[in-house]
Amino acid sequence: MSYIIPIGPYHPALEEPVHTRLYTDGEIIRDADVFVGYNHRGIEKLATERNAIQTLVLVERVCGICSHSHAFTYAMAVEAINKIEVPRRGQYLRVITAELERLHSHTLWLGIALHLIGHDSMFMRVWDVRETIMDMLETLTGNRVNYAMVTIGGARRDISDELRHDFTEKLKTLVPVLDRLKEIALTDKTIALRTKGIGILTTEDAIRMGAVGPHARASGVHVDVRKDAPYSCYDEFDFDAPVVDSGDVFARVVVRVLECYESAKILLQAMENLPEGPIHLGNKLPRIAAGEFVSRHEAPRGQVIHKVVGNNQLTNHRVSIHVPTFKNVATIPTMLRGNSVADAGLIIASIDPCFSCLDR
Amino acid sequence: MQDYKMTQITPDEIVPLAERMRRDGRALVMIHAFTEPDGTMHVSWDYAVGNCVESYYVLGETTLPTISHIYDSAAEWPELELHELLGLRFEGLDMSRRLFLPEELLETQGKGQILVTPLSELVERRDAAAAAKAAPAEAAEAAPAEAAPAEAAADEEKEART
Repeated sequence: MSYIIPIGPYHPALEEPVHTRLYTDGEIIRDADVFVGYNHRGIEKLATERNAIQTLVLVERVCGICSHSHAFTYAMAVEAINKIEVPRRGQYLRVITAELERLHSHTLWLGIALHLIGHDSMFMRVWDVRETIMDMLETLTGNRVNYAMVTIGGARRDISDELRHDFTEKLKTLVPVLDRLKEIALTDKTIALRTKGIGILTTEDAIRMGAVGPHARASGVHVDVRKDAPYSCYDEFDFDAPVVDSGDVFARVVVRVLECYESAKILLQAMENLPEGPIHLGNKLPRIAAGEFVSRHEAPRGQVIHKVVGNNQLTNHRVSIHVPTFKNVATIPTMLRGNSVADAGLIIASIDPCFSCLDR
Repeated sequence: MQDYKMTQITPDEIVPLAERMRRDGRALVMIHAFTEPDGTMHVSWDYAVGNCVESYYVLGETTLPTISHIYDSAAEWPELELHELLGLRFEGLDMSRRLFLPEELLETQGKGQILVTPLSELVERRDAAAAAKAAPAEAAEAAPAEAAPAEAAADEEKEART
């Protein structure tokens, strides 16, 4: 018997609104369609009526989880148009926030994935780790969600030596906990049974559809903006972008667990080598010079793109925001084909979707 | 450091360029579009080449060839978005579905209200309205000229406050 099964836009297995239509043959999914646009707020249009500082506040509201990525990317674009050189300490502070954000986003996703798998005790353990990272973000920036850490020409808040020492201690105790999590993720039978061989995206498909971020790296594609097009001070750190080539949900779990290590590695180096000097260039509101720039940043989910067009006005002429989920969501139908309906929720969640980002 | 390079191309070059980029294994970063201050449509195809984003743009065209057969969903989704939100038309693109707008607005179903008016139609309507008001055209032209200094003054004031 063939059925059409609708999932969403509001469904207990989904964190955010998306509508997926599954065309099934009994238990097996033959084909699927994804419908987005339930969360469209017209942020790109709003940005054309705001100045650079107001836009920083606005673009941070694009996403609740990778909010810093958007402010970071927008600031980079404006600085490139205006040829502003950011002080090195400001660069480091931006990277510290970005990497803490990556840790928090990956642990958040791991928790949700484990909850969907049905391994709730590990979900609690992962979110315990996440709470430590959220506390670090809160002590550094004062906020748990929209960090407001970026300004045009630097970072807004400095880090004291005391806090730096405290962070180093916390990160060092985090590594053994990550070791334990990795051990469970790699050896646990429940996780293996629910994730291995499920929702496969082949390397060719990932390249053809332009998948980005950890989702592409789990399919054996070597893409990472931090490596391919270094920006800010990422070229000063020693780190890897882990790539796994099996392309199933298990690979996505493994890639994200391994990336947590790399983020911790970057953070420890940043804490040690933090340069002295100013953190920003003062509070002057810049006029956005005539010109355009496309800046790219490796957000927790993949490549975030901001195209900013200036017209020598205080306001932006055009801000075009494109997020990793925009590319990754298009791979969902391919991954769903041939899998059972019971795995659909997990496969949709496995790309770490953010529909708030996608719809803007 | 990240780099950015702009090159103007003609609509005929879009598909061969995409084929060449695909063959070289370059990723299509995004298709962007906006209206220039003078009202010209600016559509750009941005490709990532190493640490540089190469932007190839076409000016003043609202009907363009699709590259969705070359770049699959990486091109199809942005093209659908530009069709829905900016009224561009992509020849050869499967427009039987909506991306952001509700499905009830499908033009092929012949029901419901179509909210998307192609930009070309809007331009035609504007030109027709301007032609109808041919006689008081001088008065109409004088009005924006007056508005411009006022805007500049408001701008100066904003800057002074900061």
